[in-house]
Amino acid sequence: MTSREVTKDEMGKYPGFVITTVAQDGIAIVVNPANEIQYITLDQVKGIYLSNITKWTQITGANVPGTNNQIVIIGRDSASGTRTYFDQTVLASATPTNKMLEKNSNGAVLQTVAQTPGSIGYVSIGFVSKDIKVLPIWYNSQKIIAPTTENVKTKPYPISRDLYVITNGQPSGLTGDFIKYILSPDGQKIVADEGYVTLS
Amino acid sequence: MIKFMKKMNDVLGASQGTARVSFVKEQAIKTVFFFTAFFAVIVVSFILLFLLRDGYVILEKAGVLAFLFGVSWAPNAVVPLYGILPLIVGTLLVTIGAMVFAVPLSIGCAIYISELASPRVKQQLKPAVELLAGIPSIVYGFFGLIVLTNFIRVTFYLPTGETWLAASVLLGIMALPTIISVSEDAISSVPCEYKEGSLAIGATRWQTISRVLVPAALSGIAAAIILGIGRAIGETMAVLMVAGNAAIIPDPIWNILSPIRTLTATLGIEMGEVAVGSDHYSALFGVAVVLLIITLIINLSAVAILRRLTEGRGHATSGKHLVSRNTRETLVRIAKITGVLILIGFFFLAAPFWLADLILLTALAVYIGRNWLSPNRVQTIAFAFVIAAALIVIAILAIILQDIVLNGLPALSWEFLTQPPRDLGRAGGIFPAIVGTLCLVMGAIAIALPLGVGAAIYLVEYTREGRITRFIRTGVDLLNGTPSIVFGLFGFAFIVLYLGIGVSMLAGQVTLALMVLPTVIRTTEESLKNIPQSLREGSLALGATRWQMISRVVLPPAVPGIVTGAILSIGRAAGETAPIMFTAVVFSSRFLPDSVFQPVMALPYHLFILATNVPGASTNKYGTALVLLLLVVGFYSIAITVRNHFHRKVRGYHV
Repeated sequence: MTSREVTKDEMGKYPGFVITTVAQDGIAIVVNPANEIQYITLDQVKGIYLSNITKWTQITGANVPGTNNQIVIIGRDSASGTRTYFDQTVLASATPTNKMLEKNSNGAVLQTVAQTPGSIGYVSIGFVSKDIKVLPIWYNSQKIIAPTTENVKTKPYPISRDLYVITNGQPSGLTGDFIKYILSPDGQKIVADEGYVTLS
Repeated sequence: MIKFMKKMNDVLGASQGTARVSFVKEQAIKTVFFFTAFFAVIVVSFILLFLLRDGYVILEKAGVLAFLFGVSWAPNAVVPLYGILPLIVGTLLVTIGAMVFAVPLSIGCAIYISELASPRVKQQLKPAVELLAGIPSIVYGFFGLIVLTNFIRVTFYLPTGETWLAASVLLGIMALPTIISVSEDAISSVPCEYKEGSLAIGATRWQTISRVLVPAALSGIAAAIILGIGRAIGETMAVLMVAGNAAIIPDPIWNILSPIRTLTATLGIEMGEVAVGSDHYSALFGVAVVLLIITLIINLSAVAILRRLTEGRGHATSGKHLVSRNTRETLVRIAKITGVLILIGFFFLAAPFWLADLILLTALAVYIGRNWLSPNRVQTIAFAFVIAAALIVIAILAIILQDIVLNGLPALSWEFLTQPPRDLGRAGGIFPAIVGTLCLVMGAIAIALPLGVGAAIYLVEYTREGRITRFIRTGVDLLNGTPSIVFGLFGFAFIVLYLGIGVSMLAGQVTLALMVLPTVIRTTEESLKNIPQSLREGSLALGATRWQMISRVVLPPAVPGIVTGAILSIGRAAGETAPIMFTAVVFSSRFLPDSVFQPVMALPYHLFILATNVPGASTNKYGTALVLLLLVVGFYSIAITVRNHFHRKVRGYHV
C-alpha cells in the first residue's frame, strides 16, 4: 500500500504492477493548539517550509503566547510518500529547509506538534485529533477551505491524493479477495470510520 | 596395586584398537570447533560484503568524495543529493557530548563505589548499577521523548527541545552504567599494596586515589570509556526519538541547542519505507558502511590503545619515547592550555552568560587558591564532588525508573497481559508482543549458544595464543562493536531479501543471534579460563583424550558461567529494537504466529510505535514500557545472581 504514485522508472522496472485506488486522503496542515492562528495560505506554508518565513509574527493572526514565536518546522523523512507528495504539491518540488525536523510517521509528526507550542506539521486527515489544531487554507475572505472529508471528496481542498494498493500482476486468490473487500461497502465503511475519504 | 595395573593394561589394550577411530574423532571435533570460532570472522566479512554490495551503487553514481563530504542530504529532491557529512558530524558531536556528560559522572561514581562507600552500600549499589545497564534503549528513548525534550525546551526557553543536548544527555545516561561498572572493576583490582604503600608514606586518601589508584587503573578506565563510546555511537532508537533529525551541521558548530541527525537515526527512520533497489536504498547502505567503518576504527584503536597502556606500564622505567622528556612536557602544557581555552570559549558561546561567568570564576578561584588549600581541605572538596557525582547518577536513574513505574503500574492488569491489542494498541493488551519477544530471544539463544560456546572452547582449549586466535578475537571484537542497526540492515539485505526468507520470526532470531554471539563467546571464555589448569593437566595425565577432558572435566564447572552469559544475552536481545525492526516484526497481529516463517509482534517495537506513532495511547505505552523493563531487568538480575553465586564459590576455592 502506498500514498505516492509509482514513478516512471519503477513502472519500467516492474511492468507487471497493477495499481488499485482504494481511498482518498487529504493532507492537513496542523499546528499546536497554543497558536492563535486560524487559517493559513498555501504561499505561507511554502514560505515556512522553505525557511523564508521563520517567525509566527510574520503571519497575520498567528501568535504563540509565552514563546519567542520561532517557527519549529516538522516534516516527514525523505523515504515518505506523504513527504514526496507534499514537496511536489505545496513546495512546487523545491527541497524543504534542512532545518526541518524529520519524523518517520504521521503519528510522530502529530505527537511532536502536540507537545511543541511553536510547531507546524502536516499529517493525513485520518490522523487528525483534538491534540492539535487543523488549519483551513485561506484563498480570500469568501474562500476558506478546511480539510474535511467532504472538501477532499469534492476536490476544493488543494492538498489531496489517492491511496493505492499495488500488486504484481492482476490480484487473485486471497489478495484479490482482500482488495475486493476494501472496495466493497463494508470495506469502504472502515475507510470512512478511520477518517479517510471513500471512493464513491 | 597389581589389580590397578591390570586394569590400566586392559584400558590401554582396548584403546589401542580404537586409537585410529578416536584420533579421527578428535580431529573432527577440533574442526567443528574451529568452524564455530571462525564463524564470527565470516559474519563480519559477510556484513561488510553485503552492505558494500548494496551501497556501492551510490558510491559509484555520486562519487566517494561527494558522498562523504557533501553537505546536503536530500534524497527526494528533484536532483537528489546524497551528502552525508552532516550525518557524520552529527554522530561524532553527539558521541563527544555524551562522553563530556558521562565520563566525569561515572568516574566519580566508580571512585565512590570502590573507595568511599561502606561495604553494605557497595554491596547494594554494584548490582543496582549492573541492572541499569540492562534497561532497553527504547525505554530510555521513550523517557527522553516524553520528559527530557520537554524539560530542555522549557528550561532553555527553546522553540523545541529536540536537540543535540537532549541526544547527548540521553546517550550519556545510557553509557553511565557501562562506564561505572567497568571502571569500578578496574579501580578495585589495583593491588592493595599500592594503596597501603601510599597511605603509609603519609598521603591523604584523596591523594592516594588521584595519584595512585586512578593512574594505576587507567587502562581499565580507558577501556570503560571506549565501551561507553561504542554504546553511544551505535545507538539508534533513543537518538532517533530525541535528536530532531534535521540533517544539518550545527551553526556555529558548538551550538549544542541545535537539532542534529546521526548516521544511525537516518537508517532508523528512512529504511522502513524506502523503495528497495532505488538510489536512496543504496545510499542508506552506504551510510551503514560508513557507520560500520567508524565503529571498526574506534574498536581497533581501542584494542591498540589498551595494548599500549598495558605494555607501557610494564616498561615504564626503560621506555624510550619519540620525543625527549622536556619537549613532551611542553607539548602537554600547550595541549592543556589549548584545551582550557577551547572549554572557556565553549562555555561562553553555548551557555547563558551568568553561568559561563560563574564556572569561569570558580575555576579561577580554585586555580589561584589551590596552593593555599591544605591536602585535607582538598580531600574534603574532592570527596564532596565524588559523592555529588554518585548522588546525581542515582537521582537520574531514580527519576527515569519512577516515571516509568508510577505511570506504568495503572496499566498492568490481567487483561493487559493476556489480550491482543485493539484500536491500534490504545486498548486491549500486549499478549502477542510478550509471546513474540520470548520466541525471538529463545530462538536467538538456541542459535547463538552452540556457536558461541564452540568458539570459546576452540579459543581457550584448542589453541595457543597466536596469529589465528588474534585474528578470530579481532573478528569477535568487531562483531561486538557493530551497531545494532547495522545488524538490522544486514538481516534485511541478506536473510530477508537475498535468502528470500521474508520478514519473519526466523530472520529476527538469526539477526539477534549474530548480535549476541560475542557476549556468549566472551562470557564462556571467561568461565573456561577460570577453571584451574591443574584440572586439565590431571585429566590428560590420566589418559583422557582432549575431548574427554573438555566434556567431562572442564565444561561441567563452567556451566554456571555459560548460563550467565546466555541469560545476559537473552536480556540484551529482548530489549533491542533496531535489529528486528526490518527483519521480524509487525505492529499489530491478533494471532500468534504458527511457524517461524511468519512475522511476530515484539515488545520493544510495540513500545516504539505506541510512543511515536499512536497518539492517545498514554496508559498502554507506559504499561508496555514497564513490562519490557521488568522482563529485561528480570533476565539481568537472574544472570547477576547466578554469576555472583558462582563467583563466591570459585573464590572460596582459591583464596
